[in-house]
Parts: sequence; structure tokens; C-alpha cells
Amino acid sequence: MFRHMTREIRFLAKDRGALFWLLLAFTLSVIAVSFGVTEVREQRETIAALIKEDASDRANALKGQEEWGSAAYYAFHFTYAPPSDFAFAAMGQRDSSPWKHRIRMLALEGQIHEADTRNANFGLVGRFDFAFLIASVAPLLLILLLYDLRAAERTSRRHDLLVATAGYSLAIWFPRAFVRIAALTILLLLPLWSAALIEGTSLTITLQASGIAMAALLIWWIIVEWVNRIDASPSILLTSLIGLWLALAIIVPAISKAVIETNNPVPDGGEILLLQRETVNGAWDLPKDATMKPFIAQHPELRDYAKIDGPWAWKWYYAFQQVGDQKVAPLAQQYRKARLERDRQADLAAFLSPTSFAERAFEKLAGTDTRAMIVYEDAVRGFHSELRAFYYPLMFPEAQYNPALLNNLPNYVPPS
Amino acid sequence: MAIPLEARSLSLLRAGNSVLDDVSFTINAGEIFALLGGNGAGKSSTLLTFLGFLEPSNGDVLVNGSSVRNDIAAARSAIAYLPESASLYGHMTAYENLSYFLDLAGKPANREDIDAALDKVALAEEARTRRLQSYSKGMRQKTAIALALLRETPILLLDEPTSGLDPVAIDEFHDLVKALANNGQTILMVTHDVYGACQIADRVGLLRGGKLVGSFSAENGERIDTETVHAAFAERETA
Ligand SMILES: Nc1ncnc2c1ncn2[C@@H]1O[C@H](COP(=O)(O)OP(=O)(O)OP(=O)(O)O)[C@@H](O)[C@H]1O
Ligand SMILES: [Mg+2]
Repeated sequence: MFRHMTREIRFLAKDRGALFWLLLAFTLSVIAVSFGVTEVREQRETIAALIKEDASDRANALKGQEEWGSAAYYAFHFTYAPPSDFAFAAMGQRDSSPWKHRIRMLALEGQIHEADTRNANFGLVGRFDFAFLIASVAPLLLILLLYDLRAAERTSRRHDLLVATAGYSLAIWFPRAFVRIAALTILLLLPLWSAALIEGTSLTITLQASGIAMAALLIWWIIVEWVNRIDASPSILLTSLIGLWLALAIIVPAISKAVIETNNPVPDGGEILLLQRETVNGAWDLPKDATMKPFIAQHPELRDYAKIDGPWAWKWYYAFQQVGDQKVAPLAQQYRKARLERDRQADLAAFLSPTSFAERAFEKLAGTDTRAMIVYEDAVRGFHSELRAFYYPLMFPEAQYNPALLNNLPNYVPPS
Repeated sequence: MAIPLEARSLSLLRAGNSVLDDVSFTINAGEIFALLGGNGAGKSSTLLTFLGFLEPSNGDVLVNGSSVRNDIAAARSAIAYLPESASLYGHMTAYENLSYFLDLAGKPANREDIDAALDKVALAEEARTRRLQSYSKGMRQKTAIALALLRETPILLLDEPTSGLDPVAIDEFHDLVKALANNGQTILMVTHDVYGACQIADRVGLLRGGKLVGSFSAENGERIDTETVHAAFAERETA
């Protein structure tokens, strides 16, 4: 076998057409990986800058406050999901779901979903990152490298001489295809490996990612082999393979996406925002009890402090903020569940398309899948309830304002 | 010793049409057998059957005494095949082509061996490091013949080996083939060239419409009579 491989490596080295596609693969991989690394760096810099500003902004906002209520009102807290050390390879949902917020102790759901209304938009194909390259573009390169391996020899009437000389068919076609695929795989993975070293990606993740890339290419190899069995002209083979690529890399994913989305309607993030805003704004005109009753149902421990005399009190204001959250809770819950359900179904649908499968597997490794984004949202919710747990016991009993206590404000810790 | 090449009541279908019909012959070691016939007579198909690319619909083909279908790889490794209008790789030089194909055959050759073979087919030295796409048809044919020589197999199947060669080159090629046969190699050669076939063959088989309609042998060291064979060949018009 070794003899066959070295022979075919030398043969490949003289095949300019194949070398061109291989060089292109390498270039595209370098571009995709550098895009990813740059994007991740920028996100990290943004996060670092915002963390820095966060403390000083809050200190400024808190300066001169005299009430717990106004302190909570003016103090923003920066929350974020840092990109993982493999996010450079697959930006995934980070492009469409928010990964940073500045939140304060007002009604939360609206604040979380506000960012939804300004999604990054990359059209049908998505961002050109490594996951996209390996899942969608690499199969095309593989097809171009392999489609006429046999057919071209047939049309130049060399096929029988080659096989007769080799003795059996496999001795020539297997090493020929294998050498091309190995070269393609290595040239695609080299930039990924270099970036993984620079980014400090763990070896297990790097190996898993390489395994996924190889598996995806292997599946496409099998598809090409299967089509190449047809005794047809190179152009017919190429057309059929491009058709299959279109079907498996574009059409099937698009159809499954459409079907899954129709079957699992997800309320718009904007809807949540709107309902919450209406609830919160409406509360001004309602009798105080209409707010305090549902609030106390959630916080029985504050029952004794729930009596609001007079036209205005901070605790009434924060109570109707919280009731705003309670009101949209079913919608937010539905939103969360439907996204998880879509994700689960997309996992199943990915078995229909090697492209979706590879892309999703990469997003999982990179922590940029839907689940990771929901974990981040939940971390924001968790932090927000810590804020409430900090302020309520001070605000409701109307404890004396003491800025020193603000040093104990909860700290946001990003999900790991 | 096993008979190098044998067709036993060989019949062959291609795309549903009968291409060979009950063809039988044997070729002994060191013998040159020329298969003569018009276009579409089934000559190339006969060679492809010996190489295991086509399977007999009836009868059998044997290489070194064993049926090809039992061990195609063994049959192929005993045979050097010169295809009809052989085309080697245009983007490679003669040296590169020959080393590639010899590697493929599992019989790597060094530069001296290759040069010796190219000398035998009289391929100009300056051409040997040039890509084949710059070769004339005859030069390409010579390179392909050199490949068959370098294989050093006991059997050679040659499909119209002299096509594209100039008269001098044809004469040289005939001498070469005779030398190979004297050396014990068995040669099955397909041709349209009645004169050439009679010049060198020990036996000539005449194929028409897939049937072996005539067989002519050289008697007592004399050449096969070209007139007789030609007359038989030309009967095709009236048949
Ligand atoms: N690939 C093919 N598929 C189907 N039939 C074929 C194929 N190649 C040849 N044939 C048929 O087989 C028959 C014999 O063809 P073959 O090539 O063996 O003839 P030949 O004697 O070598 O002719 P020529 O002197 O023109 O080379 C012809 O009738 C031809 O139409
Ligand atoms: Mg022929």
C-alpha cells in the first residue's frame, strides 16, 4: 500500500489542476480561520473594555444617589458570554443571538430580548468561518478533486491500460483518491491547528474537531465514489455531484429549517418586549393592589412591607417591573422551550445532511450553539435575581440608604 | 508447460450484440499470432477479454492454463498490454510516464533500463525529457511500446502496434517483436496490416463478424503467403 501511496503522491505533484484546488482549499482555510480569530479577538476586546467601563460607569451612576431605588435605577451591570477558545472556528449562534447586555434591575425579559431586534444578518450562507468552510465549501472542493478521477481516464482511453497494468482496479483508484483527500484534509486542517495552538484550544476539542472534519469529508468521499460508479462522461458526473451537493448542503438544510420553524412557532423576542412594556406602562394607571397582590404571591416574605401609601414609592415601581416579568414569563418560557425544541429537532434533521451535521457539531464544540446561548440567558436571569435578592431586603423595609453596602452588590460571573 | 493464451469456444456479447461467436485458438510460448480483421470484427474485444475487462458469455479464455475469470490479477500481471491508440499522460515526460506505469505494475525500472527500451524503439534522446503532449502520434506509440517491453512479461497483447509508425519504424518494430518471440515471449497482435502480419507472424487468424473464419500458418520456415491471406481478407466484401 505504501508503494501505491508514494507513487500517487508523485503523480499528484504533477497534476496542476488538482494542485490548484488544493492551494485554494488552503487559502480559504487560512482566510476562514483568520476571520474567526479576528472576530473572537474583537469580541474579547469589546468585553474587556466593557468590563473596565462597567465598574467606573456604575460608580459614577451611584455617586450622589440617596435612595436604594434610584441607585438600582441608574446602575447598569454588564453581562456577557465570552467566546470559547474554539469559537474562532464556528461563530454559530453568536452571530444571531446577543452575547452581551447591560442590564439593570428593571423588568428583565424585555432587556434580554431587546438585543434580538438587531441581529447580525449574513443572508443565506452565513458567516465564512471554518465550520462553514468544512461543512459547505470543502465538499465542493472534494468533488472537484475526485469527480473525474476515473471518467477522465476513460475519455482519454487510458483507463484499461491503467487497470491492466495495476492488476486490479483498487490498486490505482483507491490510492489516487486517498492521496487527494488526505492532502485536502491536511491543508484544510493546518490553519485550524495553528489557530488552535495560538488560541490555546484544548487538545481534546482540537482532536474532536479534526475528527468531525474528517468524518464529513469521508461521507462526501463515499457519495462521490458511489456516483463515480456510473459509467458516464465527466461532465455528467460533475453535474450530478454538484446537484447532490446543492441538495445536501443547501436545499435539505433549508427545507428542514423551514419545516422545523413552521412546526415550532417561536414568539418573536420583540413580542416579549412589547407585552412587557405594555404591562409595565399600564401599571401606572392601575390601583396599587393590582400590582402588589401578584408581587407578594411571588415574595410572601415581603408581605409586611407591601402596603403602599401615597401616589409613588420605589418599591411599588420595582414591584410592577417584576410583575412585568411575571406577566411575560409564560411567553418567555415558551420562547425558550420552542428554541430548545427547534434545536433538538434540528439535531435529528442534521442526519439528513452531512453539512448541517458538521456545522452543528462544530457549534457544539465551540459553545456557540443554541443551548449555549440559552445557558447565557439563564446566567443573566440568575444574576438579575441576585440583584433583586440584594435590593429587595433593603428597599422594601425602606432601610436607611448606605452606599457602603453597595460594595456587596452581586458580581456577574459568565457561564463557563 | 501451460499454454500461454487460449480461447475456448469464446463468445462475447457487448451491449446485447454478439461480438465474438465461438472463437477458439491457442498460442504457444514464443509464438507470434496475428489476429487480422476489418473494423468491428472483434479484435480489440478479444484482447479485452483476455485482460478480464469483458466476460465471455460463453466459452472461456485462459492465460497460462487457468481461466481468466478465476484470477484476473494473475492474468494481468502476466500480460503487457498495448492498447489501440495508446495514450499515456500528456503532461508528463517519457521518463515520468514510464516510471509511473512501471511503478503501477510493481516493477520499478531505473533510468538505464528505460533508456535501453527507448533506444530499442528509437525514440529520439532529446524527446525523452519532453512532455508527451509535444510528441507526434508515432513518438507516443513508440513510448507505449517501450512500456510493454519494460514490463518483461511472458505475454504481450498488442492492439494495432504499428499504427502511426513510419515504414522504417515498422520494420524495426517487426524485428523487435521477432526478437522477443525468440526470447520465449508469447505475442498476440491485432492488426489490419495483412502484409505486416504475414511478415512476422507464425500464424494468422482471420476474424470476420466475430467468427474466426481462417487460419494460416507459416510452413517449413517460410513466410505466410500474403496473397492468400489478402484474398481471404478481401472476401469480406463479397461475403
Ligand atoms: N464499448 C462498447 N460497447 C458496446 N459495444 C462495443 C463497444 N466497443 C465496441 N463494441 C462493438 O463490438 C464490436 C467489435 O468491436 P472491436 O472494437 O472489438 O472491433 P475491432 O475488430 O477492434 O475493430 P477496429 O479495427 O475498428 O479496431 C463492434 O461491433 C463494436 O460495435
Ligand atoms: Mg480495435
